Amino acid sequence: MAEYKVRFDPNTEPVVVKSGTLIIEAAKQAGLDILQPCGGQGRCGRCIVQVMDGTVRHRSSLRLSKEDIQAGYALACQSIIESDILVRIPEQDKIERRLMSDRTALEIEIPPGYSPEYKQSLRRFSIQLSPPSYEDQTDDLTRLKKEITLKLGYRNIFIPLGLINKISQALRLGNWNVTIFLHIGELDDRMKYVQLVDILPGIIAEEDPLWGAAIDIGTTTVTLWLVDLMTGKVHAQVAEYNDQIRRGEDVISRIIYADKNGGLTELQQLVLGTINELMETACKRVKFHRVKPEDVYKVSVAGNTTMMHLFLGVPANNIRLSPFIPSFNQAPIIYAKEIGLKTHPFAIVDCLPGVASYVGADITAGVLSAGVDLADQLTLFLDVGTNGEMVLGSKEWLVTCACSAGPAFEGAGVQSGMRATTGAIEEVWINSNTYEPTYRVIGGGKPRGICGSGLISLLAEMFITGLIDKAGNLNPSLPTNRVREGEHGLEYVVVWAVEAYSGEDIVFTRVDVDNLLRAKAAIYAGFLVLAQSVGVPLESTEQVLIGGSFGKYLNIEKSIQIGLLPDLPWERFRFLGNTAVKGAYYALLDKHSRKRLDEIASKMTYIELSADNSFYEAFMSALFLPHTDLSKFPSVEKAMKSIQYSETI
Amino acid sequence: MPVEIPKDKWPGSVRTVTIGALPKDGGTRKCTVTVGGETTMPFLHYEGEIPNRPVVAIEIMDRQPDDWSPLLAEAWKDVMDDPAKWAVAAEQAGADLLVLELSLNNRNGEPTTPDEAVSAVKSVLAASGLPLIVFGPGQAEADNALLVPISEATKGERIVLGICEDKNYRTIVATAMANDHLVSARTAMDVNLAKQLNILISDMGLPLDRILMDPTTGALGYGIEYGFSVMERLRLAALQGDKMTQLPMIVTPGYEAWKIKESKVGEGVPETWGDWLNRAINWETLTAITLLESGADVLVLRHPESVKRVKRAIDELMSAKELV
Repeated sequence: MAEYKVRFDPNTEPVVVKSGTLIIEAAKQAGLDILQPCGGQGRCGRCIVQVMDGTVRHRSSLRLSKEDIQAGYALACQSIIESDILVRIPEQDKIERRLMSDRTALEIEIPPGYSPEYKQSLRRFSIQLSPPSYEDQTDDLTRLKKEITLKLGYRNIFIPLGLINKISQALRLGNWNVTIFLHIGELDDRMKYVQLVDILPGIIAEEDPLWGAAIDIGTTTVTLWLVDLMTGKVHAQVAEYNDQIRRGEDVISRIIYADKNGGLTELQQLVLGTINELMETACKRVKFHRVKPEDVYKVSVAGNTTMMHLFLGVPANNIRLSPFIPSFNQAPIIYAKEIGLKTHPFAIVDCLPGVASYVGADITAGVLSAGVDLADQLTLFLDVGTNGEMVLGSKEWLVTCACSAGPAFEGAGVQSGMRATTGAIEEVWINSNTYEPTYRVIGGGKPRGICGSGLISLLAEMFITGLIDKAGNLNPSLPTNRVREGEHGLEYVVVWAVEAYSGEDIVFTRVDVDNLLRAKAAIYAGFLVLAQSVGVPLESTEQVLIGGSFGKYLNIEKSIQIGLLPDLPWERFRFLGNTAVKGAYYALLDKHSRKRLDEIASKMTYIELSADNSFYEAFMSALFLPHTDLSKFPSVEKAMKSIQYSETI
Repeated sequence: MPVEIPKDKWPGSVRTVTIGALPKDGGTRKCTVTVGGETTMPFLHYEGEIPNRPVVAIEIMDRQPDDWSPLLAEAWKDVMDDPAKWAVAAEQAGADLLVLELSLNNRNGEPTTPDEAVSAVKSVLAASGLPLIVFGPGQAEADNALLVPISEATKGERIVLGICEDKNYRTIVATAMANDHLVSARTAMDVNLAKQLNILISDMGLPLDRILMDPTTGALGYGIEYGFSVMERLRLAALQGDKMTQLPMIVTPGYEAWKIKESKVGEGVPETWGDWLNRAINWETLTAITLLESGADVLVLRHPESVKRVKRAIDELMSAKELV
């Protein structure tokens, strides 16, 4: 039998192996430890190596692209040595980065060509007035208005009472040099609507920042970006849990709570508290400038329709009652002090437009930032939060629907679930011979629970390894002590108590499986119904854009394996992070984008899923792993076959 | 001008399933029952093949049932206390095959033991040469405890074991595989659920030609139209080529029709309801014939008179072939 010399880099001592040896075996012989979380089945891609010289035969290359193979990449557990070879072992963190590159959201770029002069509706002008005298007895207000008309060309300026108070003092303190802040709205192409937002004594340098904030009020998380409206730069990004959570985890329970005596005011105060705190934090985060919340002059707010109602203190009860009509989809512009937002009291608060009770401004903003409304290709846009909202379309047309996924993907409603923070298991691999899991924990310490992406990968692994059947039933007859009878039927122990942060077993129960199945079925059914409603096959979707804070961490392969995402080539998926706050940021900066948002809201066709039983039908068929119709998931069928194959060899 | 009758050409067909095994095949049955094989919707003889006629099974129990209508007790009289005698009577009443249902508790009110269950099954097999379907009491643990020993004690008979449900199918399927039996897969009235359970069972390795599916139904006036539509859609899917729905269907119109007030109660009901016995038998018959039209292959009935009428209906529907 032929023998081959194998050299490893870094580790140059060659080893001699017989033909037919796998690289992983040669590595072991050379004393090298290559991670194999999946138990050497070519599924996880963690054992990737690069063959620099010589030939190998690929038994499976499930995780490799054509380019990878051409560049010599191979899975150590699946590659049979067929000549003398030189193998480079990449550093582990590079592998992680390579595999995880899809997880990072895109950097926030200032929209190209941003200039406050042409794009910004909130403007700051320093003007000089001629002082009054015995000859010129014009009152302060008229003097200011005249000067604005003369210098800037704006007529009919609206000035709230709270600012009239300030004018006389500012003019005199600044020795008739003042800086004014104007909000210039456009009623239509010709009519402008100008409002004084603030007046300060003295001149402010042109390059001094002018602060605005983009906010996304999520049911679970509130995100705030602090932006310099002069340059467009985002100076701080902060996020915190919506304090309303303590009054209910989903929108329906919040609406019910708001309906109780005093509930509406309480919920409004809770979310304002969260936002005001975020505003403080964001101001402190800004480097090189001293910023106070009072310096923020304009706020753009995205959020689902219920969150928007509660933010403004408007009763939301009808959102929950058939035929689900909200009080408003588009709120008028208001001042901060009307609701108690801790910015400048007259800061312009622009609540972005929504479409329907369950497709709110977070989705229109998402469509804006993802550019779905400008896309040439057929695009599926998905925002997974407590509700799953989705939009299908292109620059020609847009249809949208919303389905209740429940909080499972955010780690709620699951026994060992948690949000994606330090201590959460975010990825799991299960060895299909021993049924032992390997996992990765956010922050690297002892695991405290499992977050949404961890749950998805856990469910997928349990399915692929046969720990659960296609209906989610745990198999009690496997040779492992990790499947046991628990309080709610059979359960799988992911982490034994001794390895867990809390000192208690971290388990995944039958109830958890069901919750997760329902959540994924709801979302996939939404896709199907949406596609059916316009008569296009789901497979013809050319790109899938995924938003939501959850979207940053979603593993495409695992999501397809459980039938959450349609089985499309991986390169068609893109993760955009929080698209709602990004859309709010674009709307904050650019009045044209803001206008586009109105167009998006009016252009989108909303499909109410409760109107007929096609959703129920699609939901029931999706309530299976990966789906009742396996032909919809050819890659999963292939993965399952490859496992059966590797079990037989 | 001649009228052209439109005909569909279906790419798929229903699988044929044979229940019971002759001595030469390792069993003790004097005959077997083969169902399925349709290549068209029910009784459209001009369009496709219906090679096997739908069959009628009579439901008997391992002991005198507590909650059956007195009309049924009148019909079967004292044989109800002995499953072997009841089996013979059922065969004489025209059954194509038998369904033996096991009680949760025995005559003394104690849980039926595996030994009692096995001996009931054996006595029925000895008394009648018809193929047999055995249903457990319908509680997961009891089903597993009773059906496994029965399956082992009757290896090779090609009995249909039931009821497999989505949360409780592994044990029954495993024992059916090991002992050359078949299974009956029951789901709530839903096309997807039915298909899903078939997938789960076949994933365990049981060949599809050893599965009957029970899509569940309701009696006439009690949701039968929903059951009808589910069965029709299952059959349409099968004919369109969906492998996991191409199984013959078993339904239990006897059980459904005899649990409703119209057949169970004879007193204190409006006079316009008419004669009690007539009404009850009509109810069972009409329920069964409706299901026949929606694609049922095995009908499980209770009253001997209904059996007669349903069999006559099957005869007529099958002989419609000659008219084409």
